[in-house]
Amino acid sequence: MADDKVMIIMTSGPDTPRRCATPFFFASLAAAMEYDVTMFFTIDGTLLLKKGMAETVFPKAGGKPVSGFIQDALDADVKFLACTASTELHDLQPSDLIDGVKMVGGASMWQLAEECKTVLTF
Amino acid sequence: MTTIRGCNLPEDLYYLVEKHVWAKPVGEGVIRVGITAVAAKLSGGKLAALTVKAKNIGVEVPQSKSIATIESSKFVGPVPAPLTGILLRANDKLATDPNIAVSDPYGEGWVAEMKASNWEGEMGNLKTGAEGVAAYQAKLEADNISCG
Repeated sequence: MADDKVMIIMTSGPDTPRRCATPFFFASLAAAMEYDVTMFFTIDGTLLLKKGMAETVFPKAGGKPVSGFIQDALDADVKFLACTASTELHDLQPSDLIDGVKMVGGASMWQLAEECKTVLTF
Repeated sequence: MTTIRGCNLPEDLYYLVEKHVWAKPVGEGVIRVGITAVAAKLSGGKLAALTVKAKNIGVEVPQSKSIATIESSKFVGPVPAPLTGILLRANDKLATDPNIAVSDPYGEGWVAEMKASNWEGEMGNLKTGAEGVAAYQAKLEADNISCG
């Protein structure tokens, strides 16, 4: 029953909507299994955290927007970390991102990866 | 059979109302547990999977901690343990047809059996009998949930 740590690295973004639901679903599922879950957003993944963006991304036409999957994950206590360099890539300020996201450098990702039992990348 | 707001809620079960799970002693300290008709409704009604965490078999799980997960196209969430106890076994039938937990949540669709660690002590946290169903009814009304 130990709170094993797992991490999901999210690199997919608004250009590939069909890749943007499952990572959040898997994160919520892992939280429901009592894992300590972190999602690390980098490359285009960070764009999904831009305020208002995820509401416009639909993995399935007519279905639930990515913002709904993000909210499910946040409600399940999944931690969100965003890569500082990726915000620079997209000219984003930390204040442009939704609430609940912590900004970290790439070294934090490596340290966390070492602590985690499982790391998935999408 | 007692039906409240369209939800079948038998009086002979012990409910952890907040978590929508039930427990029922089946003898020799063994408690059968499962999800309520309300949980089945809230999960969207058609399940893709109901999976007991295999790693937890033989391990003591505290009350309210997850023993299994429910997946549907609309929902993913835990099945919390209604009591503290050692997880003895999962209902193998759920692997082939998770939807028996929806169609028959108190019969064929039970989730797991547990060896209670402190049944007498924890019974007070659970609701049963006519009072239990009334407590559940209050929860359904407060949250505006119905199974119809």
